[in-house]
Amino acid sequence: MRSSQEQALKSLIDDLRQRVTEAEETLAAIREGSVDAVVVGAEGQDEVLVIGDDVLAFRNFMEAMEPGAVAVDADGRLLYANARFRQIFAEDWDRLKGKLLSEILPGPAAQLISKLISHDDHETAPVSVSFLERGVERNYLVSARPVHLGTIRGFAVTFSDLTERVRAEAAERAQRIASAIIASANEAVIVCDRTLTITHANFAAEALSTEKLVGNRLDAAIPLKFPDATGILEIGELVESSLRGTPLRSIEAFAPMSPGARDVLVSAAPLNISDDEPEGCVLTLVDLTQRKKDERQMHLLMRELDHRVKNTLALVLSISKRTAASEETLEGFQGSFSGRIEALAATHNLLAGASWESLSLRQIFGAEVSPYAETSGDRINITGPDLSLYPRAAIAVGLIFHELATNATKYGALSGEAGSINLEIHPKTDAPSVEVTWTERDGPPVKSFSRKGFGHTVISRSLSYSPHGGTTLEFEPTGVVCRIQIPISDVA
Amino acid sequence: MPTENANTRKLTLYVAGETPKSLAAISNLERICREHLPGKYQIEVIDLKKNPQLAREHKIVAIPTLVRELPIPIRKIIGDLSDEQKVLINLKVE
Repeated sequence: MRSSQEQALKSLIDDLRQRVTEAEETLAAIREGSVDAVVVGAEGQDEVLVIGDDVLAFRNFMEAMEPGAVAVDADGRLLYANARFRQIFAEDWDRLKGKLLSEILPGPAAQLISKLISHDDHETAPVSVSFLERGVERNYLVSARPVHLGTIRGFAVTFSDLTERVRAEAAERAQRIASAIIASANEAVIVCDRTLTITHANFAAEALSTEKLVGNRLDAAIPLKFPDATGILEIGELVESSLRGTPLRSIEAFAPMSPGARDVLVSAAPLNISDDEPEGCVLTLVDLTQRKKDERQMHLLMRELDHRVKNTLALVLSISKRTAASEETLEGFQGSFSGRIEALAATHNLLAGASWESLSLRQIFGAEVSPYAETSGDRINITGPDLSLYPRAAIAVGLIFHELATNATKYGALSGEAGSINLEIHPKTDAPSVEVTWTERDGPPVKSFSRKGFGHTVISRSLSYSPHGGTTLEFEPTGVVCRIQIPISDVA
Repeated sequence: MPTENANTRKLTLYVAGETPKSLAAISNLERICREHLPGKYQIEVIDLKKNPQLAREHKIVAIPTLVRELPIPIRKIIGDLSDEQKVLINLKVE
């Protein structure tokens, strides 16, 4: 009996000790803030009292916020998430509550946000994060501010949706890049909508019209004429063709209304912005004016070359026949014929070097006379202004100088040691010709040409192609004087 | 799904609605059990905000409180269970 009483007493003491321990632990937990609610009983009615602020107030506040918002404790555990946040992650509150933000957000975003809530004493700058929301990437600006939630310190984290702004900025940037590409293109680029109204045009395109392009109709601003072979009547047909899905490339056209009336190469491609039908047309116009001019020049030169070759062959044939008629021996023919062909070649060389445009009279003189005498020495003297001669006169004058020099070497001023030649170039006047005078001095006594051979013919006839061209040859006692009249039309 | 057997910890967690400590206690308990007692636990969460009278069974005063009913003797851990070592010792896992 005694033993059972002692047993009961011991059990009671153990129970009391257990209850005291529990009471101490409870008090310590309350004091340390490890709990945030207590059960109180009054008249047999138990009731739960929440310590600290009522969480309902901040929940209601968060719920009214437009951005996504969550309340988290210092570990990032969700204490509440508002409707917008729940919508972002398509989860209801029962599935979100108590979860860590790092369990909900994708890794990179979670890492950035965890830095926001790692320093509760410092306000950190918002961070930009992006993640997929129902398969579509969305951008958020996330900021965190420390708050008191009941008995704890936590954070209010807001997610402001920047997606539309980011998209608008990306679209604006894309637009700027597209405009820069169009603007920096060397060729003319024009964009028009389906109604042919111009929406974009670069500087090179503006140069093709006297009007401002953007806002105008394409066919009115830059009317084009197409060669019959293309089967295209006007520029609108090009646009319509490309809108139907048939881009056209490198169609030659003429822009009669453009400054300088330009030849262009037109290409048209559909402007595809989305998967729908093309929203317009992109046209590029390559200016062919210079190329066409070059082609015409080349064509002209080819014809000119053909003409000159035929003339030269006829001249060579004539020189050959007339030299043969005037020379008595084969050696004489060889010497005269070679000399004349070389004289012709010398002028041709000079003309080829000058692109067959014009030649300096002094150059021609130098090329033809230098084989016989030092043109920069005392025996040869040139006075007067230089003249620029067109090819026809240059060849004729070259042959005349050759014949005069050959004659001077054989019989005239250059045949002895003391003779000299003076070439006087008279200035241009209103007269239909310019005179150049060849005067020989101090040579042996002059006789007229013993017989008027081909050399004389060359001198007297080479410039006779024009009524204002020709020569007069005088045999003065002091030496030969040849007055050469060059038609003014052949002087540049 | 945890099943009941001789080694099963029968755990009752008393919470007060969705107070920060209650949510933390639920989250911590689920994580600790998942990581350290896989398949060996049974959790019952009792919301005393809804049923305050259920506090009497285990004489609950502070919330949150975790009660280990099995294996006996009963153990109580008061707080949000953020001290993992303390929880594991009381659940006799280590």
